[in-house]
Amino acid sequence: MENSVPDFVLFLGRFHPLVVHLPIGFLVFAFLLEIFSRIKKNPVLTTAIPLALFLGGVSALVACILGYMLSLSGDYDDNALDSHFWFGIATTVLAFVAWLIRIEKIKLSNYKKIQPNIAALTLLVIVISVTGHYGGNLTHGSDYLVKYLPFNTEEKTELAAVTNLEEAEVYGHLVAPILENKCISCHNDSKKKGGLSMIDSVSMHSGGKSGAILVPGSANESELVKRVLLDPHNEDFMPPEGKTPLTEEEIAIITYWINSSNADFKTKVANVEIPENITTIASTMLGLGANNNTVALPTVAKVSNELIASIEKEGFKLKELVFESNLFEVVLAPNTVVEGKENQLKAKLEKLLPIKENIIWLSIENNKLTDENVQIVSQFTNIQKLKLSENPISDNAIQHLLKLKNMTSVNLFGTKITSKSLEVFSKMENLKYAYVWQTNIEQKDLEGYNKTNTPKIILGM
Amino acid sequence: MCNNHHKKLRSNNKDLHEIEKQVDRRDFLKKTSLGLGALALGSLLGADKMFASINKNSTPEEILNTYNKNRLGLPHHLPKAKRIIYLFQSGGPSQMDLFDYKPKLSDMFGKELPDSVMSGQRLTGMSGNQSTLPIAPSVFNFKQYGESRAWVSDAMPYLSEVVDDLCFIKGMQTDQINHTPAITFMQTGNQLPGRPSIGSWLSYGLGSDNENLPTFITLVSKNGKGQPLKSSLWGNGFLPTEHQGVQFRSGKDPVLYLSDPENYDGNDRRHMLDYLGDLNNLQHDAYGDPEIQARMSQYEMAFKMQTSVPEVSDLSDESDSTFEMYGKDSRDPGTYAANCLMARKLLEKGVKFVQLYHQGWDQHNYCPGGVKSQSKKTDQPTAALIKDLKQRGMLDDTLVVWGGEFGRTVYSQGQLTKENYGRDHHPKAFTMWMAGAGVKPGFSYGETDDFSYNVVKDPVHVHDFHATLLHLFGVDHERLTFKHQGRRYRLTDVHGNVVKDLLT
Repeated sequence: MENSVPDFVLFLGRFHPLVVHLPIGFLVFAFLLEIFSRIKKNPVLTTAIPLALFLGGVSALVACILGYMLSLSGDYDDNALDSHFWFGIATTVLAFVAWLIRIEKIKLSNYKKIQPNIAALTLLVIVISVTGHYGGNLTHGSDYLVKYLPFNTEEKTELAAVTNLEEAEVYGHLVAPILENKCISCHNDSKKKGGLSMIDSVSMHSGGKSGAILVPGSANESELVKRVLLDPHNEDFMPPEGKTPLTEEEIAIITYWINSSNADFKTKVANVEIPENITTIASTMLGLGANNNTVALPTVAKVSNELIASIEKEGFKLKELVFESNLFEVVLAPNTVVEGKENQLKAKLEKLLPIKENIIWLSIENNKLTDENVQIVSQFTNIQKLKLSENPISDNAIQHLLKLKNMTSVNLFGTKITSKSLEVFSKMENLKYAYVWQTNIEQKDLEGYNKTNTPKIILGM
Repeated sequence: MCNNHHKKLRSNNKDLHEIEKQVDRRDFLKKTSLGLGALALGSLLGADKMFASINKNSTPEEILNTYNKNRLGLPHHLPKAKRIIYLFQSGGPSQMDLFDYKPKLSDMFGKELPDSVMSGQRLTGMSGNQSTLPIAPSVFNFKQYGESRAWVSDAMPYLSEVVDDLCFIKGMQTDQINHTPAITFMQTGNQLPGRPSIGSWLSYGLGSDNENLPTFITLVSKNGKGQPLKSSLWGNGFLPTEHQGVQFRSGKDPVLYLSDPENYDGNDRRHMLDYLGDLNNLQHDAYGDPEIQARMSQYEMAFKMQTSVPEVSDLSDESDSTFEMYGKDSRDPGTYAANCLMARKLLEKGVKFVQLYHQGWDQHNYCPGGVKSQSKKTDQPTAALIKDLKQRGMLDDTLVVWGGEFGRTVYSQGQLTKENYGRDHHPKAFTMWMAGAGVKPGFSYGETDDFSYNVVKDPVHVHDFHATLLHLFGVDHERLTFKHQGRRYRLTDVHGNVVKDLLT
């Protein structure tokens, strides 16, 4: 059927979601005018009502026509479409009726105390709300609206949580969440883009307009995998432009499901061979034995370009570590602060305070840094790598650094710290490496130090 | 000398009148309130490309920063490495004489290499016509070192001290069997010259970390014999020219033509460059050629290097113990040892990519002697570099890579005796190692068969190596692309997988 629809009709049809907002606006506005004119006893307002109703009716008519054109694409479920279709027509008819009542072409007498124009407007608002709701369901799926409703305890049919990977169902635990996240919003029973629904095994097996999406045992021939591997600019690439694409890991999981368990919907991980990389990805997905090697990256506030410029004016170099993460590496080039001008450093460091949470790596090497200065540094709580080498700092500075809970490596070579700091290092939970060459720490100080304890203390060789 | 020129530039060339109109339009935009609005709109539309020509009033810093600015959406993820030093061992070091210990070979001295091992592989013209391919066990003794118990031959006594910091890749594979294509493949991801080298890709993708030195610097050991090296190995290919590697030479001038000519004090050079910049801007407006901008930024870089290069090539502030650690060659500029030391200084100054080349690993004959003499030149400085970077805390974010373009054969090329043999090129298995930022220390990945001929476990192809290297810098190798001649290119082209097992 869809082949007989000219492209131009579909082109116009896509304007439906845009135009539908006009009647909503006009008609609700008419209703509000009616209410206000009564509350404020201001009859001037009422003069605009007929016009608002008329425009509402006309735009509703246009929306209906465009909506019909859109429905011809066949992307939508017939049942859900039906309700929206008839409510849409009802809205249009009702809008014209309300208009006619308002301009008194239709004269109805009051029934008890209810005035016909108020009744018509109220009904209109109700009907248009229902129409809008059905329309929204068509586009976003029927569980979209209340998904994040507070106290909504009704969970989707949740699979039992697994404690080890072997128990997990390849489809249920690993593949389904990916589809749920990235595909279902357009491929469900009410909105079947390309005629495809991925809501359950039956609909997935029946495929879409271009045929089956799964070829058991051969991911490379399966449309499901082919489409996500296309060039992102390709028209057939899925998910379409503007939606989040699948990650490498997600594609690996789906490929594994199709290849190893023949796209079966019940197979458990225990029953199929699982390669090492899939084990890693799957464990991470299920939150099992999470990789505790790296400290997670914090989410931080945006830093304005003006702020960056003002900090760079002080001699710092800022480099964003991940694009648009607002997490920075901050470097003060060695010898920026020279002898005799040591007090400059404090002012410079204070300039960093507005971005204290954005600093992940910090390097202030050979810049006459003092213990007191380190107090400022210790406020940059998200630091993971800190380089303070060749500065006149002592054990007191290391005490301040205890506040940096995320620090994984600290470079203190060429400072005045002593073996007292070793104990402080071992209190730093995430610290893995401490570089202490050319300090007062010597090889013999490390003898009592348990080697298996983190961090590793690195002296010269 | 040149301070009496007019600031307003007007050409008398008819063909350039169009340009002057453009200049006027820009002034118009600048000076009217409408212009302000239009400029605001321009920036909303992401028009930095539309107005990409360098503003006349920019300071030199701004001109350089234009090139350093991140316009590509990089890094894709948190990098592990900030800088890299790639110790390229040109010629193809013999893996089974250095790291890939094959004890079973000693019982097979002189026996014919089984066909099942060769499985019909095509050999080079140098040994392909030999009537016999006798197995040549290594003359070197192997021992295990460190906590990681890594095997190293006695050709590399210094390196054996730092094995716990190294990550060996024993299953390296390449597609190319001859030097020029293989080395070009290793450095650019393609066997034909013309693609950008690894360093150029990193410079293009990540920009510079310092204002005074190039992002990508190449050092070649002096008096190198063997296969020639050519500048396309550190070339920018189709990437903008400012991303090409700058070669530092051995000898008096590391970079040629930086010093001022005789009887010229250089005092008005800044002035001259500013005016030249104005002229070049005019030219850029006329032709829109990005190479004009590249040229301008290179003039600025050259100007800065007039002071930064003498500073960095001066090794006089290094302590005696440092020279001792790198070996006595390190006092002789241009040697591999001196280059290692210089490389550390460059990395300290914020150079992102330092590439060393050492020629002479092409042991077709006299292999034991050749391996011994090249090891003697490179072993101590290499190990010293690892130690030095480590004690300064730099190994934390510096990646060190050691390797050649391919490996060598287990069979002898030419005559085999108990003490002597030659080895031909072998692309199907060779050893490389990495150290530092983000790679597992004291780790060995991949295995070869008993003949070090085929990879039997965890092969790592050159493309995979490139993908992994970029990954360590926070770059997804599939997303760092450059459109050229109608299609997008990557370092790994359409290949490559990140070898996650090598990563910490």
